[in-house]
Amino acid sequence: MDSADDRQMAGFKDFYQYTAPTRVIAGRELLGSVGFEFAKEGARRVLLVTDAVIRATGLVDRVTEGLSDGELELAAIFDGVPQDSDGAVVAAIAALAAETGADSFLALGGGSVMDSAKVANVLFTHGGEPRDWEGYYGLPRALEGAGRAEELAPLACIPTTAGTGSEVSFAAVIKDREARVKYQIADFALIPRLAILDPAATATLPPQIAAATGMDAMTHAIEGYVSREWNPHADACALHALRLIDANLERAVHQSDDETARGNMLIAASLAIAPTTSGALGLAHSLSHACGACYDVPHGIGNAINLPASIEYNAAGGEDIAARYRDIGELLGLQAGGEIGQALAEHIRERVRSLGLPTRLSQVGVPESGIALLVQGAMGDACTLVNPRAPTAEDLAELYRRAL
Amino acid sequence: MPYFNDDQEVYRYLGRLFLDLLADEELARQFRTANTVVQYRYRKPESQITVKLLEGEDGQVDLGATQLEPEVVMTMDADVAHRFWLGKVNVTVALARGQIKTKGPVAKILKLVPLVKPVFPRYRAQLEAAGRSDLAEV
Repeated sequence: MDSADDRQMAGFKDFYQYTAPTRVIAGRELLGSVGFEFAKEGARRVLLVTDAVIRATGLVDRVTEGLSDGELELAAIFDGVPQDSDGAVVAAIAALAAETGADSFLALGGGSVMDSAKVANVLFTHGGEPRDWEGYYGLPRALEGAGRAEELAPLACIPTTAGTGSEVSFAAVIKDREARVKYQIADFALIPRLAILDPAATATLPPQIAAATGMDAMTHAIEGYVSREWNPHADACALHALRLIDANLERAVHQSDDETARGNMLIAASLAIAPTTSGALGLAHSLSHACGACYDVPHGIGNAINLPASIEYNAAGGEDIAARYRDIGELLGLQAGGEIGQALAEHIRERVRSLGLPTRLSQVGVPESGIALLVQGAMGDACTLVNPRAPTAEDLAELYRRAL
Repeated sequence: MPYFNDDQEVYRYLGRLFLDLLADEELARQFRTANTVVQYRYRKPESQITVKLLEGEDGQVDLGATQLEPEVVMTMDADVAHRFWLGKVNVTVALARGQIKTKGPVAKILKLVPLVKPVFPRYRAQLEAAGRSDLAEV
């Protein structure tokens, strides 16, 4: 077992960072005033980024009509974003923006659409290839790299899933299909200027995607709260996100006409991502990132499967960690006694089952022979470094075996 | 005031540490699993150390100019690097704070972080053996 002497799970921290510059508007019937709101952020001629499925629902038409409310022009619509976007897609979006004279981006979709728009905005402003910008805080900035990052074009996001929180985050993830890896570009300049949380945008979301993305939000909140890099600002967001998820997730999945539940899940997802500003996540994310990169396991489903065992593993790492899980158990109304890790893990497994999601990695195409490859990926994941308990490669292999 | 006066001091202490680490057969074997070429670009004083960690090849450390093409670049003040090797820097905080900026697939290097913790006393001992206990006090 690792020692607790180099982690701090309570008290006043030496340092943490919290930033939330996105203007968030939430409520009903906001799609009709997209233009009015986006104009306040400097947009005049908008490239709308979405995917073909969303376009087929008619949602794109409502949003483009809403642009006229602010007398904004529509430069073009790019509707070719796939489930896991890649560099070619991002480059095509940036090229279309340049060709059509766009001065701003409006992302209407889930995590892949929003992340594509973010990275396309980087290429549109600074040029280059997507992987040129891979890394943390690598965008051009003042004072020979030590100052403020140069501004990108205005970006607004209308999430059509309640999960990733990309509409308020500083990072984007893109897939390199040839190398079979997902890479991250993270800098403050990527943070969208505007997020519009309107339940009308999730009205046609299929139940399984609503469930998977909702579990992604739950994982952000739980892992953010129990990470080594927890912090009080993020805690407030994570715990309220969990309250909203607890009260609304099942309703949003099983009763698609429940606008209140869907709206509250959108808010929960945008709150749950807050801990990531300081890098606060954990092991379930490390395990799931590798599953996504190697076996195309959707991120939310990977998290739903890996979260319970990660909790059991972490809670056994020390009373200071268990105390944080106990806070969550209390919020969820669990009567856990001394075994909070097991009780919370069982509670989540039951919820995952009731949501109709897979509960085993073998159900989503991960073979036992792939464990060594997955362990390599998870070991090098930044989320592993901020997990409250430091795992060995054998620990990770055992967690994968238990989840198969 | 920076811990190191000039690039030669960076190479004398941080550079020496990298050379020592790659001369350690077991550590070098583990580091080569990163399978990359990483360049540490330091400010205050300006200097750079490039390390080849490729599976199936001998390790290589270039102090200053190099012919190696780095896949990962990590930029930081030399003070941050010095404090890191003394066990005084939380890498994730330094990344979140922008004290360490990265370019390229940084995960290849982050997976080595747990491996280097046992090296921290070695750096301190190296400084003391060189008569620079003053640098070990941070």
